[in-house]
This record gives sequence, C-alpha cells and structure tokens, in this order.
Amino acid sequence: MKKTFIILMIGLLFTGTVSAQDQGTKPTFGYKPSSYYSFGWNTLWTIGDFNKWVGNGSPAGFNLGGRYFIPGTNFAAGFNIQWQRVWQDYPQQTFYGDNGVALTAMNYRFTWMVPFQAAIDYYFIPSKMISPYISLGIGGDYMEHHLLIQDLDIYKTRWDFSLTPEIGVLIKFGAFSNFGANIAFNYKWTTNQIDFSGNSLKNLQMLQLRVGLCYILR
Amino acid sequence: MKILRLTFIALGIFAMVSCTKYPPTSSRLLEDLAVLTQYDVNTNFGLYKTYSIVDTVYYITDKGTQKIISANTKIIINQIIADMNARGFKQVAKSAKPDLGINVSAIKTTTTVYYPGWYWGYPGYYPPDWWGYNGYYYPYYPTYYTSYSAGTLVIEMVNFKNITPAGDLPVVWDAIIRGLVTDTHTTTDVTNSIDQCFTQTPSIKTSL
Repeated sequence: MKKTFIILMIGLLFTGTVSAQDQGTKPTFGYKPSSYYSFGWNTLWTIGDFNKWVGNGSPAGFNLGGRYFIPGTNFAAGFNIQWQRVWQDYPQQTFYGDNGVALTAMNYRFTWMVPFQAAIDYYFIPSKMISPYISLGIGGDYMEHHLLIQDLDIYKTRWDFSLTPEIGVLIKFGAFSNFGANIAFNYKWTTNQIDFSGNSLKNLQMLQLRVGLCYILR
Repeated sequence: MKILRLTFIALGIFAMVSCTKYPPTSSRLLEDLAVLTQYDVNTNFGLYKTYSIVDTVYYITDKGTQKIISANTKIIINQIIADMNARGFKQVAKSAKPDLGINVSAIKTTTTVYYPGWYWGYPGYYPPDWWGYNGYYYPYYPTYYTSYSAGTLVIEMVNFKNITPAGDLPVVWDAIIRGLVTDTHTTTDVTNSIDQCFTQTPSIKTSL
C-alpha cells in the first residue's frame, strides 16, 4: 500500500496534476512562468565532417540562456550564449607543406567555440511542473580551430551561421520554488568549416546534451 | 534553498575553471620526437651518386662545439649511412670528391629562436670551411621552430656539385629531429626517427 502511494505520488509529480474533484477545480503543482534564466553544463559530440577533425565528445562547455514567455501563448523567445571546447590528441602523423617541407609529430587538435543564438521555444504544457518543449535556435558561431604540433600553434578563426533544433524539458522544483532544472538535447548545423593541409571540412555538425539549473520568474 | 545556491556557485566555479580556451595539453606534445625535413625542390638528387659523412656528431653548446664520440652517435651516423645506401648512394671518403656531404650536429644549448643555419655563426661552432669551402647557404627559405629543446639532432646535406662562385655550399636537405639526443630515447627511437627523415623525403634517391 505504501509502495503504491509512493508510485502514485511520483506519477503525480511527473504529470504535474492532482485530482481535486471534491472542490470542482483542477489545480496544478506548477505555474506558468513569465521568464526564466538558465545556466547549464553542456556536453558535445561531433558528427559528420566535424568528427573527422576531433572524434572525441567533450563535456567542457557551459551555456547561459534566458527565455521570456509571450503572454497568452505557449511560446517563449530568448537567447543562448555558449562556451565549448572539443579536443583530441593524435599519434605521430606526417604533414606535407610547401617548398619540400614535411613534419612528422604527435599533434593535438582542438576547436573552441562561442555561439550566440536567438531562440524560440514552444512549451506544450508550460504551467506544469515538468514542461516539455521544442525549440529552434538561430545565430552565429565564433569558432577557432587549432592544430598544435610541438610548440607550433596553427589556427584559423571563423564566424558563421548556425541552426539548432532542440527538444528539452523545463522542470520546476516546486509549486512555490523559483528554481528549476533544464535538460535539453539538440542538433546543431553550422556553415563553419575547417581548412587545413588542403582539406576542407564543411558544414560542421554536432549533437549536444545540456543539463542546467534555472531561476524562474512567475 | 541553501543547497541550490551552493549548487549554482559550484557550477559557476566549475565553468570558470574550465573556461580556458586552450585544453590541458599533454606533456607528450613537447616530449615526443618530431621530425622536420625540408629539401630543395630544384635539386634533382637522382643526378648524384657519392656522398661523404662526418665521422661523428658535433655537439653545439653554449661554450662552443664539442665533438662527441659515443655508442649513440655511432648509431646515428651508421643509420644515416644505412638509409643513404638504401637509396642507392655510395659512401666515399672526403678526399674522393663526393657529390654530396652530410653534417650531423646536436644542439645542447637552449635558445628561444631557432632557424636552420643560425649556429653557422655561433661562437665555437666548427669552422664553416669544414668541407674546404667558405660557408653554407639555403637555396630555399628554411622552415623554423620558434623555440626548440636541448637534444635536437640536425642533419644537413650539402651539394658539392653546385657551389656558388663565392665558394658557398648549398644545403639541399636538412632534417631536424627534436628531442632525439637525450637519454630518454631508445636505440629503436633513434633509428626509427632517422628512417622517418628519409621516408618523408622520397626525392632523396639516386638514379645512377
């Protein structure tokens, strides 16, 4: 019986509703926020051509975001600013340059990126404790692609367009709490590219998982 | 609420700490052997057959040049000879007027700027007329390290068949193996890295 009660309570928490037929109303544990700010830890996995440059995923990243709910709708608009680094070291490889130059050495590659995006979200049940959403981010990505060989640092910088469809969930920590969590998974496509040694890796793509804390305003 | 605040602060600190653009590079990046070679693309090595090589390695230090004779230097010289012979060249004595000459030096001093040939004017370096000529020059713009560690091995090949009217010898190939002449590398490391110098320069092969 006790076990059933616990399961029931967990179920209620996840649906965010409670039956209150005796009062003829249907109150919820949640509330519809007016805005929220999030600070999240971001993990990135490179895919496509980007994966040929750095094959490792990287947990070295964070994201700062803000959302403002458009009154009378389930839409929220806002921004995302991110910081992310991916890197990998490679065993000895030979690079051929101009004028008869060749270099064999261990090399270390990394990309540092700072995306700035505007985002529009649609929340399916914004007033619930757990509120799933879909989102589309559009903006620009600043990227630096570095190739380190011994003490040589060969790098290129680029600003490019990026597009990020995302699914996620906003979780409120309580009916009266201003704090919550945000879990999101997204795919990013950019026009950014990496040009080294005559090879061009275009339209860099990546998958990202973000887990963060939110400060929610009513 | 207090726990949440602490979590926010901890997350912030974590983010700030990991905020460096450069990742924590492996020390192997600098310690691993690196092989840099450059050859004169206008030199047809196929036209040459004979070569002469120094009998040992010249160690360039802050106090001048020392001639090193040890088991390791013998391994280095013998490996260069083996690679040259494998490419069809024939080792002859200096007095036999070879087509090509090979110098082998190791850098002991540390400096912040290095480019091939800087040590030609280095105090105590063996005289530039070592082969009986005025000096050397690079017929190409040499690639250089902005800094280098002690223990760098430098192999230079000069062309006796294309001496300038002023009597300067062109260096038609140079190979730099960073970090080789230290006590941390095995004999296999030494021979493999010298092999690599030749492997990444397939143009060094005689047709005669």
